[in-house]
Amino acid sequence: MSVVRIDRRSFLKIGATTAGALIVGYYIDDHPAAAEPFRPNGYVRIDPDGAVTLWAKNPDMGQGVKTSLPMMIAEELDVDWDRVRVEQADLNSAWYGGQGAGGSDGTPSDGPLGQRAGAIARALLVAAAAQTWGVESAACETDRGIVHHRASGRSLSYGELTATAATLPVPKEAPRLKDISRYTIVGKPTRGVDTPKIVVGAPIYGLDVHVPGMLYAVIEKCPVHGGKPVRVDSSAALAVNGVRRVITIDGHANPTYLRPGVAVIAESTWAAMKGREALRVEWDEGPGANESSATLTAQFRAAAKQPGKVLAESGDVDRAFVASLAEVRLKSRTSETEVRLKSGSSQTETHAAAVDVEYEAPFLAHATLEPQNCTAHVHDGRCEIWGPLQMPTSGAMVVADVLGIPHEAVSIHVTRIGGGFGRRLLSDYAAEAAVISKVVGAPVQVVWSRDDDLRHDYYRPAGLHHVRAAIDGDRRLLVWDHHLVNVSRNRYRLEQTPPESTETYGLLAPIRDAKHQFDGDLQPTLIPNCRVQYTEVRTAVPTGALRAPSHNINAFVIESVLDELAHEAGVDPVALRLSYFGERRDFPSETDEATDFNATRLKQVLKLVVERSRWGTAMPKGRGLGLAVHFTFGSYCAQVADVSVDANKRLRVHRIVAVIDVGLPVNPLNLEAQTQGGIIDGLSAALFGEITIDRGRTVQSTFETYPLLRHRDAPDIEVHIVPSRERPTGFGEIALPPVAPAVANAIFAASGIRIRRLPIVSNGFRV
Amino acid sequence: MVTFQLSVNGQSRTVATAPEVPLLWVLRDSLGLRGTKFGCGRGICGACTVLIEGTAMRSCVTTAASVTRRSITTIEGLAAGALHPVQQAWIDEDVPQCGYCQAGQIMMAVSLLRTTADPSDEQIADAMSGNLCRCGTYLRIRRAVRRAAMTGASR
Repeated sequence: MSVVRIDRRSFLKIGATTAGALIVGYYIDDHPAAAEPFRPNGYVRIDPDGAVTLWAKNPDMGQGVKTSLPMMIAEELDVDWDRVRVEQADLNSAWYGGQGAGGSDGTPSDGPLGQRAGAIARALLVAAAAQTWGVESAACETDRGIVHHRASGRSLSYGELTATAATLPVPKEAPRLKDISRYTIVGKPTRGVDTPKIVVGAPIYGLDVHVPGMLYAVIEKCPVHGGKPVRVDSSAALAVNGVRRVITIDGHANPTYLRPGVAVIAESTWAAMKGREALRVEWDEGPGANESSATLTAQFRAAAKQPGKVLAESGDVDRAFVASLAEVRLKSRTSETEVRLKSGSSQTETHAAAVDVEYEAPFLAHATLEPQNCTAHVHDGRCEIWGPLQMPTSGAMVVADVLGIPHEAVSIHVTRIGGGFGRRLLSDYAAEAAVISKVVGAPVQVVWSRDDDLRHDYYRPAGLHHVRAAIDGDRRLLVWDHHLVNVSRNRYRLEQTPPESTETYGLLAPIRDAKHQFDGDLQPTLIPNCRVQYTEVRTAVPTGALRAPSHNINAFVIESVLDELAHEAGVDPVALRLSYFGERRDFPSETDEATDFNATRLKQVLKLVVERSRWGTAMPKGRGLGLAVHFTFGSYCAQVADVSVDANKRLRVHRIVAVIDVGLPVNPLNLEAQTQGGIIDGLSAALFGEITIDRGRTVQSTFETYPLLRHRDAPDIEVHIVPSRERPTGFGEIALPPVAPAVANAIFAASGIRIRRLPIVSNGFRV
Repeated sequence: MVTFQLSVNGQSRTVATAPEVPLLWVLRDSLGLRGTKFGCGRGICGACTVLIEGTAMRSCVTTAASVTRRSITTIEGLAAGALHPVQQAWIDEDVPQCGYCQAGQIMMAVSLLRTTADPSDEQIADAMSGNLCRCGTYLRIRRAVRRAAMTGASR
């Protein structure tokens, strides 16, 4: 990528505005000059020659916001999409407020900001034309970059209006937005704006950054999580041709900011890597060295047998479950009698059912294909960063903290991101580049190897779920007693909020209060005896958010247990899910409008997936369909997986049919891609994904030991997008949570084997 | 350090490096051709795929010194005036998500179509399964390879 430096004057101006800005996200140029382009806000620029440039506020890691959010701006600005150029915005809090990509929040939160910016720019251009002609703005209209006054037959292009528009005051009232029926850009399948650059190998990623005078750094970390260097013998490393320096990094009190290590700085990436191989480091391994996957699993299992911290409770769970069990035993004796009497006819009848089961989940790595990397240049009390950051705003805070400078002194140029999946919500690799650059006094690019990436990730937490659940003979959920035991990523990042607060997303929902967020699709207020318990197990293993955090495992447990209940009770799994909401339709969230839950929409995706798949048809022996549905970040997704399992437990996932409802589909082409990608991601993790710990060390360090789904194992994926005019919601994560349970439920249908431990291959299956 | 000549994208380039340096790092750090990507360093993800005499090779496990007399094509050298049909097919099918693996995928597809003008889905899967896509764009890759085959990518 080409390096564009913010000059000191404009940097200071932006910095000053940050302190005094009243309207966050709308930075008004205070000295517009006639010949200059029209740039009413951070999102829009129109040049006198008519060129339209739109800025993508949030980083793009493949989720497509660099295309879809500018589409929303262009729609309100009313310009020809084919003539729009999209630029990635640098960090600029005065113009954009917070910048980042996470929580599937770009479309619902930043979409409206962009729409407003486009509408304001359009209103100013209309006002400029009206002033030029001496007519009312209301008498003018726009059509793809041209303002018309139909009454007099006059028209002016946006380019011709830039000088006048730049002199006009920004309207106090936000202009009215377009009616959806008049949309010409939003809703059209639109190709990614960076695709033409990607296919020619343009240097647009973090690792492609080259700053003159730049040095390369690689970092050796203690193989044991939580350990640190004690003594470093750098003589052999320094003897490697091209190696310049070896320095020790102390790390930060918060290990998500910066972890300790030994950095080798060289004139090329290869020299740095060779120098590192020659390092001799003595480590203080710390208490983590006593941990392994076996000890953690034993702790999970032991904790699940003890009471946990009760997060939510209704009815009398213990008594109701015992009563349900008794009824099931009674029924099963009765039905045995009935079977004898009626030759098996009772098998089609619905009866009460109860399950008491444990589900286990491993640590998972993110394995972004672009390894972690960042380029930093610390000079004159400032730090300039170029890199693949999912969270530029918090990244600047982290960099400022480790350098001990104000966050306003950190500028960040956001590159395209070669995969995020939640890994780059943390900015540790930017902090590494910054602290090394500060010591060596030159621009530095930090490069992680694949080995570093897999062995020193912030993993999706491992854990265990103990669930006791029961339904009665009328398909009513009577009991749901859920005890989650896991390691908390909230604990790892030293948050003051309770450790469970990051771990319960998607468990039961939506009961949200200040302390606990559950965002899921089981409604606890409709279950007369419901309890959620949590127990934290402490570990030195680093943890963090992975795509659809917590949902990515909690949905697996909820949807699998519902399937178990349905099979035990002789109820169709779809019927069970359709009936548990009763007549209730809406469950407004108490704290966040974005996560209102609408049971009608969930039922709709379920009904559609049944129509579009072969649900309910008889399958040949060894073949089965499985269903799952989930609600995440305001969006809905139902999936049916079609799998076969042979006598040797050879598993083949043939096809997955997915129905998504993300409100108004902004870019259907991108929605299809994200749904396919989310399914491949979730399937890969469900089949193979497992990070194990041995004496405090991560065992997996390559794509051989941490395999990802490859081309030949990709199933056919059919994506159906629900047409909707609801507020558009996020789409980068929703397709992932239902995959694992849909496939596991299909495996049960095909083979009678219930998957209660991930990954699926750990149950003796081969892919 | 050794000094040698490489033929990259039709141009002769002089390089001075240690003899064991992989072609990937020579392309990226010495020649400034950063379209070829670092993914695993062990030749198993395919992000670093380039063409040597028209055939796909993993540049992260191929030393530069071993390919001095051979014609090297990187993603930057694929388009000859107009885009290569495979590149065009990648745009038409809107294949990339993050896009990081796609240079390698495209080079692999070019190599496949050079020897197999009209590959079956099975042949596509066989050829392309060495190239990881962490975003899961496999279905669109399959469509794009088919499209490129129809538009004469075997030229």
